[in-house]
Order: sequence, then structure tokens, then C-alpha cells
Amino acid sequence: MTAEADVLGELRRLRARLPQVTGALAASADGLVLARETAGDEAEGVAALTAAALGVAQRLTDTTGQGAFRELLVRGERGYVATYAAGSSAVLTLLAEPRINVGRLHLEARRSSARVGALVDGALERLENA
Amino acid sequence: MANTEASLKEALTTIDGAIGAALVDYTSGMALGTVGGGKDLDLTVAAAGNTDVVRAKVRTLELLGLKDEIEDILITLGGQYHLIRLLKGRGNNGLFLYLALDKTRANLAMARHQLSGIEAALEV
Repeated sequence: MTAEADVLGELRRLRARLPQVTGALAASADGLVLARETAGDEAEGVAALTAAALGVAQRLTDTTGQGAFRELLVRGERGYVATYAAGSSAVLTLLAEPRINVGRLHLEARRSSARVGALVDGALERLENA
Repeated sequence: MANTEASLKEALTTIDGAIGAALVDYTSGMALGTVGGGKDLDLTVAAAGNTDVVRAKVRTLELLGLKDEIEDILITLGGQYHLIRLLKGRGNNGLFLYLALDKTRANLAMARHQLSGIEAALEV
């Protein structure tokens, strides 16, 4: 079982728990897709944009003295885009319908991003030691 | 008229057996305010979870074609009562008060009456 399959499994379980999440993807902090669970083929673009938004968000938390980046929630007219830090070098980005229970989105996504972070960091460690 | 913080504090201090209270926006599932709770009762989790309870019941009334609205919801556990009271009027739509009570110390009728009074005086 590779880390990618494990991460994909985690994204699937997250979507099963939150039916109003319309897309989920794990990306590296530099904008490459690690695993996706989305209907369209927009994943690459979203991952790249996530990296750009992440850069700004990190600078923002830094300059205002709020510590390391944790999460980012953007609300559009037709739904939400949420990004959560996952370990030291990855992020979890979710797309959700406007009616989603944001409280639950945060609760589930924070747990999920911790698991995705552990999987990705574990895989990186194995690569370094190989 | 009382603000959110004062109303929640009043609920926790004047209602016998109260262990936690929250004012929740059920359009988002986020709490506007919480008091009490602690490690045995995470009120953020309660706010998100009970949002699904309220939404399910609102939808059920729609499906049943009942032209009525929810006043309150009571959930009875082995050791606790959970009371959900929806806010009415004055542009307070989409909010509910959540109150968790210790069953051994609470008087349900009194708690429901007091919570209704607190809701009527609450100005968000």
C-alpha cells in the first residue's frame, strides 16, 4: 500500500462523512497534486492556486504574529473553498456546497488533515532513509 | 434585553443542573458564544452536531407539509438532558440556544420555562 492510496482512502472517507463536500484534494505545499477525489479535472489548477494562497496566508500569519498557518476558509456565492495544513509539507483542500455545516467541516477536516499529514510525512521520512 | 454573553451566563448560573450552554448559528454550524462545557462536553462539537439535528427536523416539517415551526427540542440521555430552543423574531432566524443539563440536579419543566425567558430577552 503506497502513501498515495492511503491518502486517497482518507479523502474518500472524509467525503462519505460530509456529503456536502463536492471535492477533496491533498497537495504538496509547492502546488503538486498528491491525491484527488473530485468530479472535474480542475485538481491541478486548484492545487497550484492553493499553493499561491498558502504563500500569502503564511506571510499573513507570520507578519501578524499568529504563528504557523493552520487553515484558510474562502466563501463564494456558490460555495466554500477550505484549505487545512496537513503535516509539515502538505495541505488538504476541500470544496463544499454553500449549505454545508461549517462547524462540522472544520471538525472533520482538522482530523483528516492530521491523518493526511502523518501519512505524507511518514512517506517522506521513508524516502529520506531509503 | 441581554446580550449573548450575559444570556448564556444567566442560563448557566440560574438554571439548576446546567453544565453548558451555547448560542449556535445553524446556517453555518458555528457557535456565536459558549459557556461551561469543558473536556467532558466540547460545545463546539455539540454546536456542529446539533445543527444537523435542527436542520433534519426543519426539513422533516417541510416534507410533512406542516405549516408550523419548532419551538424546542428535548433529547434525553441516561445522565443528561439536552435542550435546543430556536430563536424567534427580530431577525434572529437561523439561531438556536443549546443547553446541557445534569439529569440528577435538573428540573426539566423549570429549565424549559427559564430558557424560554432567557430566549425572549436575548438581543443578538
